[in-house]
Amino acid sequence: MSDVGAEPIEREPIVPRPVLREPAHRVSPQAVPFWRVSALIGDTVIVGAAAVAYVVVPDVPGWTIVLVLLVAAAAVAHVVLMPRIRYRVHRWEVTDTAVHTREGWIGRQTRIAPINRVQTVDSRQGALMRLFGLASITVTTASAAGPITVDCLDAETAREVVARLTAITAAGEDDAT
Amino acid sequence: MIPAPGDGWSRLSPRKLLLDPVKAIGQAVVPVVVAVVGISQSDSGFGWVVFPVLVIGPLVFGALPWLTTHYRLTDTQIQVRSGVLNKNTSTAPLDRVRSVDLEASLLHRVLGLQKVQVGTGVDDDRITLDALSAADAQALRTTLLRRREAAVVVAAPDASTEDLPDVAPRPPAPAPLPVELARIDWSWLRFAPFSLSRLVLLAGALGALSQFGDNLPIWNEETARSTWDWLAQFALVAVVLVLSVAGLAAWLVVSVAGYVVQWWRFLLVREHGSLHLTSGLFTTRSITVEEAKVRGVRMTEPLLMRAVGGAELSTLATGVENGVTQVLPPCPREVAVGVGQAVLEHRGPLTDPLVAHGPLARRRAWFRELREALALVVAAAGAAWWFDISWWWVAALAVVLLLAAAAVGESSYRHLGHALAGDHLVAGSGQLARIRTVLETDGIIGWVVSQSWWQRRIGLADLVATTAAGDERVLLRDVRLDVGVALADAATPGLVREFLEP
Repeated sequence: MSDVGAEPIEREPIVPRPVLREPAHRVSPQAVPFWRVSALIGDTVIVGAAAVAYVVVPDVPGWTIVLVLLVAAAAVAHVVLMPRIRYRVHRWEVTDTAVHTREGWIGRQTRIAPINRVQTVDSRQGALMRLFGLASITVTTASAAGPITVDCLDAETAREVVARLTAITAAGEDDAT
Repeated sequence: MIPAPGDGWSRLSPRKLLLDPVKAIGQAVVPVVVAVVGISQSDSGFGWVVFPVLVIGPLVFGALPWLTTHYRLTDTQIQVRSGVLNKNTSTAPLDRVRSVDLEASLLHRVLGLQKVQVGTGVDDDRITLDALSAADAQALRTTLLRRREAAVVVAAPDASTEDLPDVAPRPPAPAPLPVELARIDWSWLRFAPFSLSRLVLLAGALGALSQFGDNLPIWNEETARSTWDWLAQFALVAVVLVLSVAGLAAWLVVSVAGYVVQWWRFLLVREHGSLHLTSGLFTTRSITVEEAKVRGVRMTEPLLMRAVGGAELSTLATGVENGVTQVLPPCPREVAVGVGQAVLEHRGPLTDPLVAHGPLARRRAWFRELREALALVVAAAGAAWWFDISWWWVAALAVVLLLAAAAVGESSYRHLGHALAGDHLVAGSGQLARIRTVLETDGIIGWVVSQSWWQRRIGLADLVATTAAGDERVLLRDVRLDVGVALADAATPGLVREFLEP
């Protein structure tokens, strides 16, 4: 995209082509097995339901087995690929002025919110997440479109980040709208 | 049992004693009639005991709210106490009062009453006083808005300092006279038939009716088919003609009547640092929006309205029940633009040309519409196969749908665009309607850049400016990623910069 350190000749009128860099930190490496296990659980239910339906429903046409197999193949691909891609994509950063995250695995979502507009900071740890020592943080602003979630930090980091964010937001005074 | 309203506590208007029982009887009339009929049929003496209870019950329950509701205005707060067993006290600090809305249904007006709703900036927490006498309501409204002005020392409508309430406290100006921004002009009635929002209501009513239609014994597949055959045989053209003329005439009447009822004596003024709207023929509304909380406006030109040069205008505010408040009836575009500029206190944002999003965005707009049309065609083909309908119909439908989709795609691309006009972010959107959303950059509280897999391949993104005002998001669809990022950087200086690659 941008030619860093190329010869200083004007190749096109100086139109700045800003590129968002990726946020500084990765999520916890434990997130990969966590995503894999939760995907496995969800997909097993779906494939199982499809298989049971195939067996139980009387007089199903023979070609529906192909559908069941396709679902199964998609599930396997999902379980194998999704966690790795996600781990590459998910990143987060909290600076003194803003929260910046990137997430997604097929699509991408980048979110930025200024810290002085943050209203609440929640952290969440499901049972499965606790097993892997993970926690998620959700930062909300006054906009329903604005909540920022950092998924799957390791629990210790999550605690630190929450403490830091709470300290910063407590210092703010206006009503953050 | 009932505490005397001392200490400055006042009751609602005593005429409330008439209002609620009448309403309660209105609501109870069906069960009462059913019960009475049932009892008279069962033919026992029991009915003479039940009947008075059914009538007196609503009266007593209607009177309870008046007996138990009190309100009080202190130097700093408005307090409302209500409830019989569960005492409920709501208080709001006067400097948090964002809006004071008055509303009167026909029944209220006959009794000279008004319902007062006080908005406090927390979305779903409105203090309601139903009902005060009209004079009391007006007085309360004026007092609340005045006190708020005194409490917030800074002059509210100054856009540049509104987020910094502590700087440079100026002495409160002497109460300025209300400035009229717009007033109903009955030549605007010509826009009524072109505004289809009321059609949605009409369609809803018809839909509700058709629910009953489903239960009618005559309506089944066979009668439908034989009716259809009969129509096709004899008089399809004539029937369609008559139906459409009748429909059009009905629509004219409904739309014009609706416009008159809703916008009768419409007046929009600016006073006490607020926009104040009054209108209504039967139910009168009086809506107040604090200007310091108005973060932008939205001008909508629906397809038909644009053909005749009309537009509608809404304000986007924070802390109002739903942040989008329509402040103008369908009216000439110039009026909407003028009022919009007065509200924004800037000339550019509503008239400046927008930056187009380019050929790739056009391609995506077309594809999006064509995909939906194709889905419909496939569904129609399936139906045709199932019901054994001629394929010619499907072909004709496909042609019509695809042409329509192409037209809609092109129009939605043409409405697409963005601009940064001074300290306002401008977003163009809409498929058939042309919608221009203007948001103060001060009101932007975050950005979301989302890219689907397809968008990533061609370097486009959906950019969302999040805000607490209005719908809480302003979407710029299919903008080039680098353009979007540059725009975000320019609109909120210092926020995005540190995340840019050097």
